[in-house]
Amino acid sequence: MTERTERTVQAGQKPQARSTEAVAAFETAGPSAVSDCKGFEVKHLVKQYANADKPVLNDISFKVEHGTVLVVLGPSGSGKSTLLRTIAGLEPIQGGTISINEKVIDEGRPGTEKAGRSNRSSELRTRIGMVFQSYDLFPNKTVLGNITMAPLLVQKRDKAEVEAEALKLLERVGLADRKDAWPHELSGGQRQRVAICRALILHPEVLLLDEITAALDPEMVREVLDVVLELAKAGQTMLIVTHEMQFARAIADHVILLDGGHIVEESHDAHAFFAHPETERARQFLRTFEFE
Amino acid sequence: MAFDWSFVQRYAPFFVNGTVMTIFISVFGILLAIAVGLVCAGVEIARVPVARQIVRAYIELSRNTPLLVQLYFLYFGLPKLGVVWSAETCAIVGLGFLGGSYMAEAMRGGLESVPKVQRETAYVLGLTPVQSITRVVLPQAISTAVPGLVANVIFLFKESSVVSAIALADVMYMAKDLIGMYYSTYESLFMLVVAYLVILLPISILGTWLERRFDYARR
Repeated sequence: MTERTERTVQAGQKPQARSTEAVAAFETAGPSAVSDCKGFEVKHLVKQYANADKPVLNDISFKVEHGTVLVVLGPSGSGKSTLLRTIAGLEPIQGGTISINEKVIDEGRPGTEKAGRSNRSSELRTRIGMVFQSYDLFPNKTVLGNITMAPLLVQKRDKAEVEAEALKLLERVGLADRKDAWPHELSGGQRQRVAICRALILHPEVLLLDEITAALDPEMVREVLDVVLELAKAGQTMLIVTHEMQFARAIADHVILLDGGHIVEESHDAHAFFAHPETERARQFLRTFEFE
Repeated sequence: MAFDWSFVQRYAPFFVNGTVMTIFISVFGILLAIAVGLVCAGVEIARVPVARQIVRAYIELSRNTPLLVQLYFLYFGLPKLGVVWSAETCAIVGLGFLGGSYMAEAMRGGLESVPKVQRETAYVLGLTPVQSITRVVLPQAISTAVPGLVANVIFLFKESSVVSAIALADVMYMAKDLIGMYYSTYESLFMLVVAYLVILLPISILGTWLERRFDYARR
């Protein structure tokens, strides 16, 4: 999707009052308008652990256009989470490149198999947001404290401005009244919505969501996924790992299926992918979600 | 034998002196223990090679030998090697040696209780390693470690009674002395119990307050 079509999507939201507000609230948190809108790209990425005989990720390449959503599917152990972790800088890569708007932010170097993390700068890290499967709010901070910590400490932004934006984001996810609550007082779904706000306030170019509803009770899944759907409409570039197939189908602009560290199928037409996958592996994978 | 209040009145000043000595020895011993514990926990968490094995050996040695034996070694053993320390120094070093391992284990437990994803989240949010430790890891580690640390402080205060064995005039020594001289078992033991309660009840109350103060890490 190009910049122009993304604008059309946003314009299309205008008639609905609720969504307009969502776009407005999420727009401030979304990718900065100054970026040249080229998107996010991974080329020939290799991830190898020190004591493994073959790489966890082998020659992975894909591009996510600015303002679009890539859904990464695959059986467990296929390397989906590892892929998101390498993109977030939590795992150093041994080959290939990761770039934002054609600027390389991480380059593979052999010999880093044992290293803990990529050595990218604080500033670069704030450009890629990530929400994990486990409820990872800081238990020693209130909801507001969790959200405002990084913008104040890392981006050195003005406190009043940061708090105002945090409140706006909380309002968007329906949690403005819980701003002074402690994480242990919130439900899993509420915590994940706060975690999304905490990532958004840094205005990341890309937001990575790693099975963010996998640990939630079924009735809380919806409230979190609705927030993600609204974000997609507002033009937030995202990479999503999920096992919620209905959700994946609804949100994806672009799908890749990983298996054994390789991309076995890639599609820029999500509906076609779910309806008529091209490879036998994809058909077999999608069948596991059917009950008839 | 009736309880002799006049004896209590006459010898109470001795117990005050002994109590001051107990507090003096314990406070410095505990501070030393905390310092030793910090270093050991740091070495273990950072997995410093060699130093880590030394720390493990020290912890096993310190926890599996009685304080009395440690004190005898410092007070009677070291002079044979040409190192002569005062009874006070031996008592403080002994308490620090014993307490250091307990403090190290409590601190390590606190640090290890912080899930890895907390540090990963801090990293992804752009926090520097120092910010990640001071703003995310330590507050949670302290929250988990505080009950154990408070228990260790109380344990070391009580354990300081052993220093009377190397002729240091702490509150325990006073009691043993007065019982030996005047057979004043009831009165002396009464004053001894009161002295320990006067020291430890406020610490216990403070500890409970601290535990509540740092109890935000409940999940």
